[in-house]
Amino acid sequence: MAVPGEENNHKQGKLEFALDVPFPSTREASIAFKSLIPDREPRKGGISKEITVSDSTLSVRWRADETRILRVSVGSFMDHLTLVMETMEAFGPPVPV
Amino acid sequence: MTVVIGFEGSANKIGVGIIRDGEVLSNPRRTYITPPGQGFLPSDTARHHRGVILTVLKEALEEAGIKPDDIDCVAYTKGPGMGAPLVTVALVARTVAQLWAKPLLGVNHCIGHIEMGRLITQANNPTVLYVSGGNTQISNDPSPGYNIEQMAKRGKQYVELPYTVKGMDVSFSGILSYIEEAASKMLTSDQCTAEDLCFSLQETLFSMLVEITERAMAHCGSQEVLIVGGVGCNIRLQEMMGVMCKERGAKLFATDERFCIDNGAMIAQAGWEMFRSGQVTELSDSWITQRYRTDEVEVTWRD
Repeated sequence: MAVPGEENNHKQGKLEFALDVPFPSTREASIAFKSLIPDREPRKGGISKEITVSDSTLSVRWRADETRILRVSVGSFMDHLTLVMETMEAFGPPVPV
Repeated sequence: MTVVIGFEGSANKIGVGIIRDGEVLSNPRRTYITPPGQGFLPSDTARHHRGVILTVLKEALEEAGIKPDDIDCVAYTKGPGMGAPLVTVALVARTVAQLWAKPLLGVNHCIGHIEMGRLITQANNPTVLYVSGGNTQISNDPSPGYNIEQMAKRGKQYVELPYTVKGMDVSFSGILSYIEEAASKMLTSDQCTAEDLCFSLQETLFSMLVEITERAMAHCGSQEVLIVGGVGCNIRLQEMMGVMCKERGAKLFATDERFCIDNGAMIAQAGWEMFRSGQVTELSDSWITQRYRTDEVEVTWRD
């Protein structure tokens, strides 16, 4: 069963990539997490990506069969992450709840 | 009083609009223009949108004189459209919705066009023809384009082209294949000019659209027509539809390029209607989708 933030489209990825992103607060890490997880990965096979959040750190783990596929997915994620962080920079901090 | 901000970026236009109870407070927009002869590709379009979206958002807030706290709901295009650009816009919408602690609403792009058309023209219960370069709902066949429109204005000679209407369905593939095959022959033998072909293409295709619109009106007993979508800006289409409407004693409504062409306010307007009727999109359900039929949307705000 699919868990939010996890996609598994391959049998056994030879390549791995790990990314840990620190945020100024738990709340901000959570906001970034919730913005980044809803969309499906466009590529059907050969790549898996798992996004998790723990306290104020957002973590992403990739497994892929080919470097090209890995590069595209990581590059795309970095563009999305950057946009989310720029948005938070421009329109944050989050309002008190 | 309900204030909704709407984000649109499903094709090459990126717009953010703010609506307060039927009043458009701001509606800035940028268009990603590719070199002549080239269409726009998803990743390049998304890159363009990423580069300007926050600027456009700031403009929207400043022009409207609105603070984030004044906003009641954040609406964005859930689909249909191109994947990468849709994601770009959804990311910003989700993020500000959380930063500002406001509810989120995923809107169908086509419903946005329709609701904006209704708001601007005050059409009561029209038959709606939604005709767009990027999003033709009738089928996935290719659609008429802006360049053709410009050349058509200079055409003089009508050339007979395949006309395909079956009930409520139109097909453009036959006319496209015919043109692809016959055009170069006709042009090199000087039978007609490229402008003549564009003119004939428009006359034929728009006649098909007028025919199916008329059929829909006859079936539904409708006396109003509303044209929405980018192609709705085409004056010739509006003229031809006008002739048919006049013959039937019906009224034609069309909007100008501010609202025909993709914009943020139309998403805000559809969002306003949906929000006030009690709809909200949970973050976990806020994924974008390239295919999203207009008739999949549950219309809770009209009878």
